[in-house]
Amino acid sequence: MTPYTGLFDSLGLRAWCDSGAEQRTTPLSMNELIARARGETETPDVSLWDTPFPSLDALNRACPAMPQSRDLTRGLERGFLDVKDTLAIVLDPLTQPLSWMLRTALSGVDAAPWWLMIGLLLLLTWGVARSGRVVALVALSLGGLAFIDHYDYAMQTLAIIFVCAFICVLLGVPLGIAMARSDRLRRAMIPVLDMLQTLPPFVYLIPLIFLFSVTEPKLYGIAIILYAIVPVVRLTDLGIRLVEPEVVEAADAFGMTDRQKLWGVQVPLALPNIMAGVNQTIMMSLAMVVIASLVSAPGLGVLVLRGIRNLELGVGLVAGLGIVVLAILLDRVTKVALQRVNAARKE
Amino acid sequence: MKKLLAGAAIAAISTPFAAAADCGEVSITEMNWGSAQIVTATAAFIMEQGYGCDVAVIPSDTVPAIASVAENNEPDVVTELWLNSTSDVYRRLEDEGRIVRLGAVLDPGGVEGWWIPRYLAEEHPELTTVEGVIANPALVGGRFNNCPEGWGCRVVNDNLIRALDLTSGGLEVFSHGSGETLATSMAAAFERREPWFGYYWAPTGLLGRYDMVKVRIGPIDEAVHANNGNPQVDNPGVSDFPPAPVLTSVTADFRGREPAVADMLSKMTFEVDVMNGLLAWMEQNNATAEEATVHFVTTMPGVWSDWLDDDARARLSALIR
Repeated sequence: MTPYTGLFDSLGLRAWCDSGAEQRTTPLSMNELIARARGETETPDVSLWDTPFPSLDALNRACPAMPQSRDLTRGLERGFLDVKDTLAIVLDPLTQPLSWMLRTALSGVDAAPWWLMIGLLLLLTWGVARSGRVVALVALSLGGLAFIDHYDYAMQTLAIIFVCAFICVLLGVPLGIAMARSDRLRRAMIPVLDMLQTLPPFVYLIPLIFLFSVTEPKLYGIAIILYAIVPVVRLTDLGIRLVEPEVVEAADAFGMTDRQKLWGVQVPLALPNIMAGVNQTIMMSLAMVVIASLVSAPGLGVLVLRGIRNLELGVGLVAGLGIVVLAILLDRVTKVALQRVNAARKE
Repeated sequence: MKKLLAGAAIAAISTPFAAAADCGEVSITEMNWGSAQIVTATAAFIMEQGYGCDVAVIPSDTVPAIASVAENNEPDVVTELWLNSTSDVYRRLEDEGRIVRLGAVLDPGGVEGWWIPRYLAEEHPELTTVEGVIANPALVGGRFNNCPEGWGCRVVNDNLIRALDLTSGGLEVFSHGSGETLATSMAAAFERREPWFGYYWAPTGLLGRYDMVKVRIGPIDEAVHANNGNPQVDNPGVSDFPPAPVLTSVTADFRGREPAVADMLSKMTFEVDVMNGLLAWMEQNNATAEEATVHFVTTMPGVWSDWLDDDARARLSALIR
């Protein structure tokens, strides 16, 4: 006698319930086993205090024709396996450029000699930041990493971050602009963005392996982008919404078209916020480096994993601190660039 | 209200029952794979119900568990410990007398090896030896699925790859980032009925679910295999994987504190076939490891009742019969 047997009896569903009886045998649970070990063969009438929530499993115990919760997870799995071929046809070509970009970037940093690579990065730093101090910081940090033979790993990580952050900006800024212009899209997108930041990456990465080959770099590319795109979308949206209505009114008064208003007024005024979003996006891609290495991304993440798995504490610490150094570099460079944008606006 | 009081009374009676036997708190590891969960759940059930211990199950993994024993002398019991996956730390702990191996929890031991799917082996029987694979890399998908960085098998595989000159026929070695992607690549290949060739081990839920055939690497030579276990050896040799020792180990303190429980744990051995059967049952019934444990305890009392002492056997007599 289980707590919900009476419920099904009184609803006249007993015949339907028992029709499912021969189809399934519910495995014994640990609590039932412990009760049996203590010699409590008869399940006592369950008191109100102990009545279980009418979950699928509890109802199934009273009525074998009811599905169990495990049928839900199995159904989901079967459903995914059934549609995976169709999904692969759509998603595979769509994401192929990502694999191509990551492969090119990785073989690029691999092929270029160190002095060329570091020189280019210093030039790039000067180009964005225009600050001798920041260039010196970058030179010192990269030199330091190279000095302890972490140059290759650091460059691989940087290459992955650059590609992913670039795609995040490429997709995230237009999405943020669209969200700023349509309240309905914004309402739809906010839960999606929340989900992207909280859903454990492996939950969607493992199904992706069923769609693409494990050797594809896009697997970790997708993981990084889905996680890191959120701040740039949010801050672009926010930045454009924060543009003062008077300014937009003035633009209207000048008879500007929507497009002129967007590119001539709203985006330039929102630039500090967008840049802050880019900065956060880069930081978040770095946070994903270790997770990406779990799906075979090269770089410092591999060393962190090796350190953890082999108890080579030093290897793990040095690689982890290497990631921190890269984070500080990227943060300082983008922050100084942001200050330049702000300063230019005030003039 | 009366029923509620009755429930409270039962609870009141059953609590001293657990304390009746002379056993205190025991912490036991639970490794994060199927067979280890069954082993741990079985041990926990017997210790709680048969010996009256207060068992704390600690979710863990091989290396963290050993590190924890080294630093904190906790947890008390480490089970389904794959000796080959531990670092030198374990041997150091044994030499210092802080950890004691009680016995093999899997008999004859873990099965490691290089595998291909059964359907591939039936279509191309020549692929069941490693020479056949080297000669026909395209038939196995052109790729060897290697262990992730930091696993014990990675070192052995890398040495075997050099000794066999595995890549000479054009086979590509792909080193996975994690065990999860290694497992998923096998599952994905099965779903598409595509070729797959790589390292895996049993007993695992995956090899219980998917029918795999072991690729013959060569004769087993313990000395060569041991030598292959060192990173980047100068003279890697060819040897198949011998059965891997899989242990239950306890801290020396625990053995002194709970000799009766330690005695039971030393006898706790699952035959690999039994374990494979349990994992297959788990898969067929879409069951949890806990339910598989209950299935084992209820259907095979002859196996586990031999592990117990007389007191414990009396306490669990309702299940043994």
